[in-house]
Amino acid sequence: MSDGREERKEQEERRKWEKERKDRDDDRDRDWERDGDRERRDSRTVELDAVVRAESGRRTRRSFLVAAAAAEGEYGFYRWIDRSPGDQLIPRPLRKMLDFNAKVARGVFDERGLAPTYPVNKSMELRTNGNYGLKMDLVPESYRLQMVGVENAKRFPQYVDDVTAWEYQYAAKKESGPVEHDTKVAPKDEAKVDPNSDAGAGEGPMMQGGPASTMVGGSGEKKEETKLSPAFEAAFAALKKAQGNKRPRGQEEAGMSDNTLDPGTPGLLLTMDDVTSLPHQELVTEFKCIEGWSQVVHWGGYRLADLIAKYPPEKKTDGSLPKYVYMETPDGDYYCGFSLQACQHPQSLLVTEMAGRPLTQWHGAPIRLHMPIKYGYKQIKRIGLIAYTDMQPDDYWTKLGYDWYAGL
Amino acid sequence: MPEDPMKPQEGAGPIAPTEAVKPIAGPAEGDVNVSPETLPVAVKEVAAVEVVPDATTAVPVSLPVPALTPVVASTEPEPSKPVAATIRLEKKHPPAIRWMHWVNFPVLFTMIWSGLLIYWNDSDNAYQHPHAVYRVGVGSLTLVRMFPPWFWKAINAPYRVTEGLGYHFFFMWLFAINGILYVTYLLISGEWRLLVPERRSVRDAIQVTLVDLHLRKGLPPQKKYNGAQRIAYSAVILMGLGSLVTGLSIYKPTQVHWVTTLLGGYEMARWEHFWLTMGFCAFFVVHVVQVVLAGWNNFRSMVSGYEIVPATKATLEEERSAR
Repeated sequence: MSDGREERKEQEERRKWEKERKDRDDDRDRDWERDGDRERRDSRTVELDAVVRAESGRRTRRSFLVAAAAAEGEYGFYRWIDRSPGDQLIPRPLRKMLDFNAKVARGVFDERGLAPTYPVNKSMELRTNGNYGLKMDLVPESYRLQMVGVENAKRFPQYVDDVTAWEYQYAAKKESGPVEHDTKVAPKDEAKVDPNSDAGAGEGPMMQGGPASTMVGGSGEKKEETKLSPAFEAAFAALKKAQGNKRPRGQEEAGMSDNTLDPGTPGLLLTMDDVTSLPHQELVTEFKCIEGWSQVVHWGGYRLADLIAKYPPEKKTDGSLPKYVYMETPDGDYYCGFSLQACQHPQSLLVTEMAGRPLTQWHGAPIRLHMPIKYGYKQIKRIGLIAYTDMQPDDYWTKLGYDWYAGL
Repeated sequence: MPEDPMKPQEGAGPIAPTEAVKPIAGPAEGDVNVSPETLPVAVKEVAAVEVVPDATTAVPVSLPVPALTPVVASTEPEPSKPVAATIRLEKKHPPAIRWMHWVNFPVLFTMIWSGLLIYWNDSDNAYQHPHAVYRVGVGSLTLVRMFPPWFWKAINAPYRVTEGLGYHFFFMWLFAINGILYVTYLLISGEWRLLVPERRSVRDAIQVTLVDLHLRKGLPPQKKYNGAQRIAYSAVILMGLGSLVTGLSIYKPTQVHWVTTLLGGYEMARWEHFWLTMGFCAFFVVHVVQVVLAGWNNFRSMVSGYEIVPATKATLEEERSAR
């Protein structure tokens, strides 16, 4: 019996051992399966990541193609601006945009804003900048203010049939004055040394007392004598004589104005007394130059609006007023155009005194303009002519690439 | 500002790591037979990922393992784990942001370049009043006047004022319109939530800066932008607004004289306009350096809109929509 018991026991142990072995085998199989599973899963992950990357690559390629096309279009846009035909020395799109901006500014602000004023003790001596139309001193007694387009001009005792026949007298400059450099245009005279040839290091001829870069002949004297053939000189002299031996107008870089009066233009010839009989005004405002500097200046003079009220523009056939005003130096070298409304602004001043003293020749004596709603280049010195007109007048700096409107 | 989206993120938001994303009841063994070619389709059908907001982001993220017939049938068949891609595409920059970002680049460049042409006018050392406005100094003591002569020569600035004015007063419209559209878009889309600094942004920004300067380790957790980025990008938008306002006060100082006066007067407004521009230049330098350091994946996202991020990273969509 004991044999049978032992046998059972032995069988039991064997079964147990076999089961353990099977379990071990199963475990090993499962491990193998699991390992394989992990391997397969890892390879699938790599595949899936690759799909994500491929998708990213596809999108990136497409986006870069669009970006390249956009950059191409942008380059074309710049090129279009840059290569557009010039309109008064700047590409036409830029000129059109300046005109558009002027329209927007007129529409939004209507040029009615008043410039802030300052106490007199904040004011300073104004820089001199730009001597166009001022190369010689004007003899004060010979000064007349021409006015053209005045309503019913014949009723005024100052009426003449031809304002252009008036002879202004000039004298060589006694002192050149503190004439400074003008950076609005590049110097054109090849022979002259650019005061900025040192690129601003402060060693240029201007610092050594030489002439400013855009001055023709410095302090009014002729610099060079061009040799001409005798026949040409004779012909030239004959032509000058036929024109009344007058100096040609528009001798500066922008040339002659389109609005320069034709001989035989009727109008008024006002004397200084006619202007100084208007109510005297004083104003302390900030003068702003397009070159980027500004100064608070004490001005004394007469409202342009008062002059316009006294000598009003002639109405058009439809009863409306002309839109513009044109001003010019006596020699026609410098000229500016304005809207009539800008001239009627209460702060637009015919200046006869600066910093409490009479205006100097180099600041535009006997009369210059101050207009705080415009940049300095509109504030013409030595006004010889004020003309009402219905066409947008020529303007010196507009012809050289600057904005006509110049409204602040 | 620094951005390293591939760095592991702490506290990655509501979505837990991969294991949690798997469908609880995975298909039984042998039920799915997917060949690699049909992968994307199969994924869409399985739709294992509920966090994916749209089809574009629904690039395969997870999928059940097709099990092979086991050699030895196991007593308890194991449900096979789903396989997920470790990465996904994050829709980082919407098209509007990308377009306006890249439009702004040449426009701002043109504004700065044309501004320099204008500024050259007042930088002329040969005369008595150089750089009355643009200088660094206290009282009568001037430390620096911008810029040295070689700089003006190098950029060919002298006597090109009319060109400068023409371009400046042309591109000012593009700059203003682009900026206004950008801010409007931020507000409408909710994208502003990813951009405006939060309470913790200042502390984060300091930490990020210290990490960037290799003074400490460990970037703070970030979503789209870190604290430094939020502050910098918001500041540069405000600077753009500042340029528009100071620009207007210089452009029409008589008509909007109250603005000019508020800014401290005409010359002060010019000074502010100038230094804001210098600020843009400084921003540009830091921005480019950081973009280079952040790498291609980040740069590409500003072109294609998508960034490759770890699959576990929280989506930005939640941050975009109101919290």
